[in-house]
Amino acid sequence: MSNGISEFFSDIYGGLSQIGSAVSPAIPAVAGSLLTKEAYDRLSDIGTQSLTGVTVDGQRVPGAMEVAERGQRESQFRPFTVTTPTGSMFSARMGGQPSMGQPMPQPVGQPSMMLPPGFAQLSGDISATDSLKDAMSAGTRPRLPSAYDGIGEELRDMLGLAPGEPLPAGRFEATSYMPPGLPQPTTGGLEVGMTLSPQEQALQQQLLGGAGGFFGQAVQPTQAREQAIFERMRAAQRPEEERQRLALEERLAGQGRLGVSSAAYGGATPEMLAMATAQEEARNRSMLGAMQQAQAEQMQQAGLGQQFLGAGYVPQAQLLAAAQPGIQQQQLAQQAQQFGTGLFGETMMSGLEARLLAEQARANLLGGVGSNILAGMFTPQTNRVTGVTTPAAGIDLGGLFGGIGDGLGNIWNTINPFD
Amino acid sequence: MAQELQSINLVAPAFKGVNTEDSPLAQDPSFAEIADNAVIDKRGRIAARKGHTVITTNKTVLGTDSLRAIKEFRDDAGNTKVFSVGNNKIISGTATLVDETPAGYSINADNWKLVDFNGRIYMFQRGFEPLVYDNTSGAVEAMSDHTHATGVTSAIYGNEVLAAYGRLWTADFTANKSTIYWSDLLNGIHWTGGSSGNIDISKVWPDGYDEIVALAAHNNALIIFGKHSIIVYDGATSPASMTLADTVAGIGCVNRDTVQYTGTDLLFLSHTGLKSFGRTIQEKSMPISSLSGNITKDIIAALQNETQFFRSVYSPEEGFYLLTFTGQDMTYCFDVRGTLENGSYRVTRWPSTTFASFTRLDDGTLYVGTSNGISTYTGYSDNNVGYRFKYYSPSLTFGDSARIKILKKLKPTLVGANSSVVFMKWAYDFDTTYATAEFTVGTQITGFYGESEYTTVEFTGGQLTNQRSLNTTGYGTSVQVGLESEIDGSPLSLQEINVMALIGKLL
Repeated sequence: MSNGISEFFSDIYGGLSQIGSAVSPAIPAVAGSLLTKEAYDRLSDIGTQSLTGVTVDGQRVPGAMEVAERGQRESQFRPFTVTTPTGSMFSARMGGQPSMGQPMPQPVGQPSMMLPPGFAQLSGDISATDSLKDAMSAGTRPRLPSAYDGIGEELRDMLGLAPGEPLPAGRFEATSYMPPGLPQPTTGGLEVGMTLSPQEQALQQQLLGGAGGFFGQAVQPTQAREQAIFERMRAAQRPEEERQRLALEERLAGQGRLGVSSAAYGGATPEMLAMATAQEEARNRSMLGAMQQAQAEQMQQAGLGQQFLGAGYVPQAQLLAAAQPGIQQQQLAQQAQQFGTGLFGETMMSGLEARLLAEQARANLLGGVGSNILAGMFTPQTNRVTGVTTPAAGIDLGGLFGGIGDGLGNIWNTINPFD
Repeated sequence: MAQELQSINLVAPAFKGVNTEDSPLAQDPSFAEIADNAVIDKRGRIAARKGHTVITTNKTVLGTDSLRAIKEFRDDAGNTKVFSVGNNKIISGTATLVDETPAGYSINADNWKLVDFNGRIYMFQRGFEPLVYDNTSGAVEAMSDHTHATGVTSAIYGNEVLAAYGRLWTADFTANKSTIYWSDLLNGIHWTGGSSGNIDISKVWPDGYDEIVALAAHNNALIIFGKHSIIVYDGATSPASMTLADTVAGIGCVNRDTVQYTGTDLLFLSHTGLKSFGRTIQEKSMPISSLSGNITKDIIAALQNETQFFRSVYSPEEGFYLLTFTGQDMTYCFDVRGTLENGSYRVTRWPSTTFASFTRLDDGTLYVGTSNGISTYTGYSDNNVGYRFKYYSPSLTFGDSARIKILKKLKPTLVGANSSVVFMKWAYDFDTTYATAEFTVGTQITGFYGESEYTTVEFTGGQLTNQRSLNTTGYGTSVQVGLESEIDGSPLSLQEINVMALIGKLL
């Protein structure tokens, strides 16, 4: 297509040359005008090409928009997954990005760390940007996180609307830009996933379940537990009390006092009253002890629940801790990626700027030539030696228009669509 | 050739009282076969008992009945009042008997027991609400009617009551024979609250089952007499804490009214005779402890035949313990001043006294209740009526039961017996038909110098004796000698009897 255009301009130029020749000596004026126009057109094309890009010598030179899009793609968050030696995984991706893997049971004692695919290239091989180029060349741009993400739901909350209910007219809902062609994310924004190994999940479930159980027990009323503890304490006390009762009974029988009933001792003997008092005191102590024990157990349950709850999150915390090196590596990679992207953009933009300057210089050169030609055509020429003054070319109008007519005829022939 | 008369001197005959347990031939001559209306006097001689002098002048409320119980009430203020029961009435007074029965209170039995305790006198009888009298109210009233009485229910309508260790104790109820109730401290009308209480000893009886008959206090112990067992609780000053100290099986108490304190011991009548608690505890009812061992069969027979009441009294002044079987009108007099070799008291018998009750006053006066009212044990006639003093020795063999004894003379030495007619009796070979020699004792009134008409030449000694010599007849291998005299105003003591006999051939 570019060849066609060149030919086209060559024909046009030929036509003009013919016109120039025909209209000689008005040719310099015409040529100057055309050069000036050419310079103008080139400057216009360069502006357009700086935005949309151009192919130079078969090499595609992207425009500013493409560079920006590419930079945006290449600076996009790269999903990554950190797998701990225990088999748990930490993954981070943007919405819609493919998952980086599934947690696998890891035998203990075989530590390993799996970095996301391409991380090595990102961190150590700049050629990894090929994938970015590939991705950018596809003309796609993933959804970018936006400060307005979720603002719609916040507005709904502020307005008292149900989730998903359309906002009233005049209001807006921020959405992230998502170019077509990429899988739509199920949810927007950054998705951070932490997946534990089956063993850790089982342990976590056990611990959290235990925590739930403990907390459940902790919030239960203590009366039933008090009664249960009291019964157990009494069950432990009863045999001794029975032995003491029997011993007292035997002692009283030996003393012939089984039948004693004294009002001063509640209808019994002093010993029986003392024993009954002691037993009642023991019962009271048991009751209070049961209450204290139940409360202590309640506290213990709460503490155990707290411990289990904390322990339940230990795999996650450990996962996070274990993911920190990976995250740091990912951040390094991200920084390298962003640096590479910036460098690419700057380099590309510097090329574009150089080309723009070159094209501007070329256009300015053409424009200067044209201007000079036009100025010479309308300026009388005086020979300093001879002192002869030649009148300006614009005076010979007959020749000028005849030549123009011929030239236009040739041009018409060139661009005649009916030919 | 004529034989020499042998003199057998019965010194202080019946000094050891009646003995009906041993064989007459083997008996010590100091025993007596019969000693009726006799006591052992202060010189160890057998003598006529005292009689009783009725002091009641108006016994209208008593009617023809006898006084079944007498008790002197004394309080800290010095008030005294004698209460008695009889003719289904509560009676007070000595000269004139006054009916003190509370209005509306119906009585149909006179088996009351009266105790004086802390300013009140209490009267208990099985099935009847206890009665109480104090000088404040001035009248006998049912206990529940007392202003401050508490807990007076039929549960405490006991037959036995004991005032000891600062409280009242009662037992022997109509339907409960094993429970003892005690009142609050120092308050015999509080039967609930305070330190009142009760004890059921049904599980304590040593032989499984018994019934409480009497209660006694001795040596800081509560003695519970069953019919055939005794239980001793120590530490009775704190009833709730008292503990079983001892039990005695096989010996019990026949009747609550036979229990008497002698100061150092406790006497009671068991089914086998009079017993000493002290010895019973020491010897665990060994036979030697029987204080009536010389008349055991007689006592048992009397027990079995008794249909009315048992009454007893201990008189330290007289030195005896009287036990009366009112249904048989028989009183046994046990001399408590000492025991014989077999541990028995010297005992004599008082038949037909009509004594129905006794009490010893604080001053030592012994009151006797009869159908005539209240009498004092004094004088030597029963309300101006004489009574027969009898003494019969056991059968005497003079050391050789194989030879014939021919009595020649009897020489009794009597002390007192002023103008009394004395009958000396003898019989051979256990014959109950006695030969009799009668004589009258002369005036035995003691004339003291300077008194009445007695002058320096006419006064006598302090105690006059009379010795006679009576010829006797008959013969036999064993001889029983007796002396009878009607006691009607003068005392009589038998100092000795000299028996003069010829020892004949061998049979």
